[in-house]
Amino acid sequence: MDENIIIADIKKFIETNILAGDITLDAESILQNVGIDSFSMIEILLFIQEKYNMLVPDDQLIPENFKTMASLARMVNKLSV
Amino acid sequence: MKPLDKSILPEKVLLSGSDCFHRVLDKHAHTHRSGGNVMRIVFYFNTRLPADKIKKTFSDSPLIYWLCNIKLQKGPPFGIPCWRYRDKGNEMVINEYQHAVPNELPEIILQRDISLDGERFIEADIIYYSGNKTAFVLSWNHILMDVKGIGMLIHHLNELNSGNEDYEITLLFPAQEKKTGLFSHIKNMYSVKRFIEASSKAPIASIAGKNARSVVTFKNRILYFTAEETDTINEHAIQNGARLGDNPFYLSCCCRAVNNVLKQRQQTGTLWIPIPYDGRLKGSLGPVISNTVAFIFYRVPEKALANMKETVACFSSQMTGQIKEKMPRKYGLLLNLMRRIPLRLYYFLVNRSGEGSFASFLYSSAGETFNGLKTLFGETVSGLTIFPSPTFPPGLTFSFQKHREALNINMAYSPDIVDNPELHKIERDLKHFLLGINE
Repeated sequence: MDENIIIADIKKFIETNILAGDITLDAESILQNVGIDSFSMIEILLFIQEKYNMLVPDDQLIPENFKTMASLARMVNKLSV
Repeated sequence: MKPLDKSILPEKVLLSGSDCFHRVLDKHAHTHRSGGNVMRIVFYFNTRLPADKIKKTFSDSPLIYWLCNIKLQKGPPFGIPCWRYRDKGNEMVINEYQHAVPNELPEIILQRDISLDGERFIEADIIYYSGNKTAFVLSWNHILMDVKGIGMLIHHLNELNSGNEDYEITLLFPAQEKKTGLFSHIKNMYSVKRFIEASSKAPIASIAGKNARSVVTFKNRILYFTAEETDTINEHAIQNGARLGDNPFYLSCCCRAVNNVLKQRQQTGTLWIPIPYDGRLKGSLGPVISNTVAFIFYRVPEKALANMKETVACFSSQMTGQIKEKMPRKYGLLLNLMRRIPLRLYYFLVNRSGEGSFASFLYSSAGETFNGLKTLFGETVSGLTIFPSPTFPPGLTFSFQKHREALNINMAYSPDIVDNPELHKIERDLKHFLLGINE
């Protein structure tokens, strides 16, 4: 899967459902720094699982994978191989 | 500095569903003599804070002026209560104290109620200690705003203090509500009602016990951890399965500490805990005014308390399940609908549904709201803590907050509910569970 497409999907979800309108994100923005909390992380996880029809195993639920949209995309890519 | 423009202040602000729920809690607090639904945040400084500077910042803030000149209006029958602004010229009152014991707050502040019939809903106190140390206390009735709102108010005051007046006033107040069809409200109401009834189904074990009817006083005990200890706690949270945030781990530690006291009393059973869930869009600077929290409800059977990993898994799966079902949003809609119910009837309905018991204990976490706060009024903040509103039942609330990567837990408890040996046991067990000692 193209990581840029995954990033675009995640970005659209976050901007539509989680973030305030005037906040902009790029692939390497630290999600916690823009106010994304643990509850929102779970929303993002649920979106990824549904969108890419995958179950993210417990050992992948680590803060490093949920740090930025780019790290999330890398995790999705790795799991979809 | 430009003069305060009062014409931009809204004359009427509707209460949110969560505000109205806090109105019920305020009535509940007064019914059970537990001191009012008042929150306090305390900022500590290793310098002498100049009162004039604080007064000037407050007098420059339109938001503070609005807060000092509003009245709660009940509204017409089955109408929505609102805040009504009238320019009466009230300004923020700042009380000053000299106090001998470092970092301790005078009892008069901690016991003071902020009544819904009063002139102001927010108050400030400055306490001077020897060695040029200061504490600054903001107290407010919880019906006005939640902890995230206070975080945004602090941001607003800091911006004003640094000369940045470029705030957007409409951001500070709740946006106009989207209309929702009555049919979807009613459909939603029944699904949430069924869920909460199942979640809170009796019997529930509570720290309040079965026979407690009212309490006389509330006290606070604060547990401080260093940044190094907080690192250890964070690692321990991940090791125990709380991978996407600390809350399931913190909650598990609280549950297991409370359960150990219930074991001593031979009153163990299923625990039920409602947890605040911030409904604001993330990264926004508002609204400051109004509570925007909904709740996630956790039901923890005694067998899930056998070990830490099982307890964390129990919380994590319920949290994920309720977020997946959009339960906090649905509960928020239900609270919005309930706003139209007259207070006495609302109070009766809430009490009846809980069969007189609200929760096993209460818990809240400020998350990252104040973790990065370096200064206030231009002075370096050396520490902070949040005093949760004293709520009975259950008579025990844990409030978690981080400042400069160091965790502290402010426990509000009634000695009528938790005696001294029990309090020490909770304190010791909580520390051990968090730090992973003797597990």
